[in-house]
Amino acid sequence: MIIFSTPIIGQLETIMRHVLDWFHGTLNLPWAWAIVATTVVVRIILVPLTVKQIHSMQNLQRYAPQMKEIQKKYKADKQKQNEELMKFYRENQINPAASCLPMLVQIPVFIALYYSLRQFAKHPPGGDLSFLHFIPSIAAHTTTHWGGYILLVIYVASQMASTLYMSATADKTQRILFMIMPLFFVFVIARFPAGLVLYWMTTNLWTVGQGLITRRLIPKTPVPELPKRSSRAAPKEQPEEPPAPAAEPERQPKQPAPPRKVRRKKRAGRR
Amino acid sequence: MYRLGVAAVWLYRVTWGALFPTTCKYHPSCSQYAIDALRQKGLVRGSLLAGWRLLRCNPWSHGGFDPVR
Repeated sequence: MIIFSTPIIGQLETIMRHVLDWFHGTLNLPWAWAIVATTVVVRIILVPLTVKQIHSMQNLQRYAPQMKEIQKKYKADKQKQNEELMKFYRENQINPAASCLPMLVQIPVFIALYYSLRQFAKHPPGGDLSFLHFIPSIAAHTTTHWGGYILLVIYVASQMASTLYMSATADKTQRILFMIMPLFFVFVIARFPAGLVLYWMTTNLWTVGQGLITRRLIPKTPVPELPKRSSRAAPKEQPEEPPAPAAEPERQPKQPAPPRKVRRKKRAGRR
Repeated sequence: MYRLGVAAVWLYRVTWGALFPTTCKYHPSCSQYAIDALRQKGLVRGSLLAGWRLLRCNPWSHGGFDPVR
């Protein structure tokens, strides 16, 4: 993480330091919990954005069969495939779940925290820098202590879980790729201060919790009438229960013919 | 000069973009739009256009086909 020291970064660091100082000084939280509290505050601010995103995602999953059809049709030409998908969204008034802004908002927080923790390592502040007795210092590199490895394992698990909830793509290969990614990034992240991994872990766990709560609280919106091309997919509309991956229910409607053949074969076999 | 901006976009792509995988609601995606804008309009106007696109890429917008014009 090589970022040039610019005045903006200095200011970000100062703001972060004020926030952490407030949590530590006023609320008497240890430094590690001050980071957790900061993460929670950031995520609370982002709630309206993410809730809207989850709604859009639920809505998007209802159109998965048709979208899969488009993806299959333009398999060779990714560009055309994207354009057709966009057209489909527009035709059906779908609001695609993904958007770049909520993700970008967290970059300044992350950078500020990184620099603050670096400062902590150089000039340790007064007070407890440990976390739950297994991380001796949140300012030290994650892998300097065995506790850091536990943190990394939780990070990977939480990152995978949050990807499951928040990755808005219906493409199965892409989803798998996104799930595997944290395994590779763990080597990069291992060099970060433990406090940063703590931030990451907390934000991921928040994402998972928020996803679970939103799904439970908000009933799924009824499907608006399905476009014509879905005549084959319409009867398979029942798989509403599996709420998780959008990719799975899509596969089923694709083979309406083969199951019939299978049944005939079975009957023949019995006779 | 615009190459500086393109390099910044690539830095984003290999770091943050890889860590927080989301697909953009626009086509071309925000980062590709930024690169196109920087190439076509130069560093200042390109950056402004890319910034405006990022603001538009929020959960309330509808996305769609939106190349640099």
